[in-house]
This record gives sequence, structure tokens and C-alpha cells, in this order.
Amino acid sequence: MTDIIDAICALLAPFNTEHVELKAETDIPAELNIDSVGVLDFIMEVEDHFDIEIPMNVVSDTRTIGELATYVQSQLKKA
Amino acid sequence: MELTKTISLAVNSSPADEPVLSRTPRSNRDVPQQLGGFSTLAQGLDYAARGVTGFNFYTGRGALDVVLTYSELRSKALCTARKLLSSGLKRLDRVAIVAETNADFMITFFACQYAGLVPCPVPYSMYIGGKESYVTRIAGMMKAAHAHAIVTPAEMLDSAQAAADAAGVALVLTHDDVASLPESMTKLHGFSADDVAYIQYSSGSTSAPKGVLISQRAIMANAKGMHFDGMKLRNDDRAFSWLPLYHDMGLVGFCLAPMLAQVTVDYLATTAFARRPALWLKLMAENRSTISFSPTFGYDLAARRINGEAVSLDLSAWRIAGIGGDMVRPDVLKAFADTLSVSKFSPTSFLPSYGMAESTLAISFAGADLPVRVDRVSRAAIRSQQKAVPMVDGDDEVARSFVICGKAIEGHVMQVRNEAGVVLGEREIGRIYVSGPSLMSCYFNNEEATAEAIGSDGFLDTGDMGYVLNGEIVITGRVKDLILHNGRNIWPQDIEWSAEQLPELKSGDVAAFAVEGQDGDDEVVVLVECRTSDVASQESLRRDVAKIVHQSAGVDCSILLVAPRSLPFTSSGKLSRNGARQKYLAGEIDVFAAH
Repeated sequence: MTDIIDAICALLAPFNTEHVELKAETDIPAELNIDSVGVLDFIMEVEDHFDIEIPMNVVSDTRTIGELATYVQSQLKKA
Repeated sequence: MELTKTISLAVNSSPADEPVLSRTPRSNRDVPQQLGGFSTLAQGLDYAARGVTGFNFYTGRGALDVVLTYSELRSKALCTARKLLSSGLKRLDRVAIVAETNADFMITFFACQYAGLVPCPVPYSMYIGGKESYVTRIAGMMKAAHAHAIVTPAEMLDSAQAAADAAGVALVLTHDDVASLPESMTKLHGFSADDVAYIQYSSGSTSAPKGVLISQRAIMANAKGMHFDGMKLRNDDRAFSWLPLYHDMGLVGFCLAPMLAQVTVDYLATTAFARRPALWLKLMAENRSTISFSPTFGYDLAARRINGEAVSLDLSAWRIAGIGGDMVRPDVLKAFADTLSVSKFSPTSFLPSYGMAESTLAISFAGADLPVRVDRVSRAAIRSQQKAVPMVDGDDEVARSFVICGKAIEGHVMQVRNEAGVVLGEREIGRIYVSGPSLMSCYFNNEEATAEAIGSDGFLDTGDMGYVLNGEIVITGRVKDLILHNGRNIWPQDIEWSAEQLPELKSGDVAAFAVEGQDGDDEVVVLVECRTSDVASQESLRRDVAKIVHQSAGVDCSILLVAPRSLPFTSSGKLSRNGARQKYLAGEIDVFAAH
């Protein structure tokens, strides 16, 4: 799990223009100033990195890095 | 040649024993192309169903996923119409449909046409962490539509159910639920030429959404204008779209209008485009697509993300690259054309256009086969005389370029008027009005808003500013407060309202508006009255506002703290958004320094 969180943080780093500390509890839409296109860019990076699909209903229900990591882990287990 | 291509490209990665999925062909061989002459959408589909063309849906990674010919669409829509009626829905009941880019949405939309139900496409959720504001948004739409049902993809059921509960809508159906209903045996009583066609919720803020009611007559008139005046449509055209189907440009431009011309459309979901913009161009090259539209920002995204792959693409078939939905920016189009010149993209393919949901979709087109034409005028004369005075020389400091957007489509009239309502002459800047058969019937169930928009003379106030040049329209900006950001309409009220939820703020403390950024796109500025001089509290307020605005509107803003009582109000005590904007631009508002 820590691996997944670390990987997500690394993928998120280029979008983190205000250098907010990235950890599992970081609320992506609230704490990072990324616009809607940037968010989808980031989601795509996560999809490509883990080779999984993240549907939009999951995206809209996700807030923190930890929640995203949990979903990624659930998909990796399935595969 | 086309045939071989179809077969070779249609090979999906399916196992050998499964039938190979193949795209619908470019055009019908045995059925002549019929443009116009239909009186309803259902009649148009009845005709299109005689051929072999239709809709193709691609996955987020660019593989052909689902093929729906017009013939299949018709038979499935007829069956679904009977199923919807067996759920107790009555003629003219409004049915909200979550408008995902897929076959289920298309079938449900056309089922409503055959069943005499009024479809109201509503958005699907697109923003990270945006579920709550999404539910509020579609609940508002369903309430305004007095919807009787919502039909949703299964994975959105949670949100749809929550929205339906909030709006008091009893019937919530997934597409699977609809499929398992029995077929009603009553005679289908679809729409006739004088009836409604659908209601579009792309107007108004989240708190007060306005449903544009479009009649069968209006959609027929507008499709005709697009087919003949806009695209000069041909039998061998093939369309491509990633535009959302809950917006007029996606629904009318790339579902209804192509169907009414029996044209094949290839679709990429909007979210798939946003994640991989280059797929748009790759799939267009693969399909030798001839027509596609996008707001300016889409061209920008795609050009920046295609990288080294442009050289391997052949976009020579692309004859109409339409631009609509925001101010057309010549610099962005030039950059796109430069990047894609190696793909044989022709800059004369660009087709600037002007329109809005209140006129079904299209009002004017600049003219197919012409390069983008720009009028360069003096900035000073715009401000001091409200005139567009040509200025050939002069840098961007003193001159600015506007794109010429063409004459009104046939049967429609555009006028530019001053504040007193007097029709202005060439090059005089004023408010743009339009009349003609494409206009909406009304804002559904909202007489007040309708009366504000359409005058007793039958002219619609577009809310845009512009001038006439040799009979063609040139758009210079907006009167209304609407913010256009990356092709999205954002209502400043939504931003202000969300910020005012913070305990430190109250109603009237926040003003949101757009200013023109350096690149010509809207930049969103949010002015917040701040009552504390404590630097740490100021900083935390700024951060809180940024957070909450971001969650509710999904947009980057400049949050600026200003002194108490520095925002201007109108005589009736309402916040003057435009007044705040003017004062801000003139440097008359003291902005606290950021720390």
C-alpha cells in the first residue's frame, strides 16, 4: 500500500505547483490547486502507470490520495 | 478502397471465435442522402434506418467498442419506448437521461421521441471529488424540469438516486431496469411537427438552471442551416465527436444533425478525450473523418499533446474543423495548424461558428473552405467610441484581432443594437439579437426568464456583444456575466455562493468574474472582502476560499482579498459584478498583498 501511495505522490508531484505536502490524507481537489483538465491528466498517468481503468464515477467519489490508492490496490488485486 | 480499410481497421482484440466488430461505413450506397424534408426526429431516424450508417463508440484507449447502426438504433428505440411506457410514464412527461457517450443514451433519447416523452439530457459527473456538487446540479435540473423519471447508467445510480430524492423524482431506472420492463402494447403516439423535441439544461446557474425547450420545428430548421449553410454536407462525409451529449454542440451538432443526414459518427467520450487529447486526432486519421468541432481549447490541448506522433497521421480528409462554444482565438488555431501541417491538416478546414442552445445550436458559420478571417481593430476606439475601427499596423498593445463568424443561417436574422434598442450600422459595437425558426420555444416553465430573453418582436437577446462587418457577425465579448473556461460555462453565482458558505463570509462579500488573460482566454478572478488585518488569518481565508471554489466549480481562480465595503452594489442592493470588474481593471479596488 505504501508503494502505491508513493507512486501516486510521484505522479501527482508535477501538478503540485504550490508544493503542498503530499500524504495519504491529502485532499486532492481541496488542497491542490489543479484545474479539471489537470486532474484528468493526472488520472490518466495513474491509469497508465498501473495499467488499470479508473471510471469517472470513481474519480468523482475520490478525494484523498489514500482513497485513490485503495481503489488502485483493489484493481491490482483483481488483475 | 474504403471497404478494405474498414475491414483491416475493424479488427478488435477479440478472440478469433467471436464475430469481428466492424465500424459503420462512411455512406449509404443504396439509400440516397436526404437532407431536410423531415418533420420530426423520429421521421428522420425512420429514414436513416433504411441505410447502413450509424454511430461507433470508441474506448478510452481508442479501440472500437460498440457499433450502433441507425437501423439498430431505431428498432431498439422502438422497443425501449414501449418499455418506458409500461413504467407508468405518460405522454409529455419529462425523462432526465444521464448523457454518457454510449449507445444506451442514444437509444433512450430516441425511445422518448417514439413514446412522446420529453428527454432532458443531464450531465455525468466529471470532477475529482465532485460527487456532492454533481448531485446538487442534476437535482436542480430535474426539479426545474418537473421530471417524472431519471434513467442512468448503473455505475451512477448512487448519485442519480440522491439527486432524484432531493428533487422529489420517484422513478429512478438504470438502463438494465428499463430493459427488464415489459413492453407496453399501447399504440406509440410520438411527436408531430408542432410538438416539443427535448429540453436542454445548459443554461443558468446550479441554483437556478434554465431548461431550453426545443421544438421539432426548431431542430429541423437548425439542422437544415447546418447541413446547407454551415457544412455544405456531402454524401461521403464522416463525423467525429468527443463533445459531451448534454451540451448543444454535442447533442445537436454531433448526434441529431448527423442522424438527420444519415451521416456516420465516431465517438470518443469527453472524459477519454480530456485524458488523451491526441486520441481525437489519431482516430480521425484512422477513420479518415471529414467533420469535427471543438471549442478553441480542444485544439490547444490536442496540439500540445500530439508530440512526435503528428508525422504518422494523415488528416488530409478533415475538411471541416469547426470552432464553437467560446471566443475563437486565431493564435491557438495557427499553432494547431502549424503543428499538424505534417499530418496534411489544411488551415482552410477551420470553420469559425457562432451559436447557443437558445437557438438550438447554430446561428452563423464563417464559410466552409475559407481560411479563418480576422478583423484587426483599434483597442482605443472600442473603448471610447464603441466602434471597430480597422487598424492594420500596430502591435497587440493598441490593436486586437477578432474572428469573423459569418452570416446568419438561412431564414434567420441577426441584429446589433445599442442600449436604447436602435439597430446599429456596420462596425458599431452593440448587443447581438437573433430571430428565426431555430429559436427555443421558451425556458421550460419559466415565463420570467423567457420574457427577459425573447422580446415581443421575436428577437432573442444573445447576451453577446459584437458588430457587423459586410453583413457578417464579429463577436467581441459578452454582456452577461457568464464565464467561459476551457469550453465550460461557469456561472459566477455558483462560485460566489460556494465561497459565502465559509463562516467568515456572508452574502455579498464575494464577486466572481472573468477577465481576459494574456492568451485571450477567460481568467477567473474572485474578489473577497476581508475584515481581518491579521496576516495569518488572511492567508487562511484565501486558502479556504480557493479550496471551496475549487471543489464546487473545478476551476483555477485568482483569489484576491479586498477591503470591506469595496465591492460595488446596484441601486436595488444587488452585487454589481460588472461594476466590480470595471473597478478592479481600473485599479480602483485595494487588493491586500498575498503573503
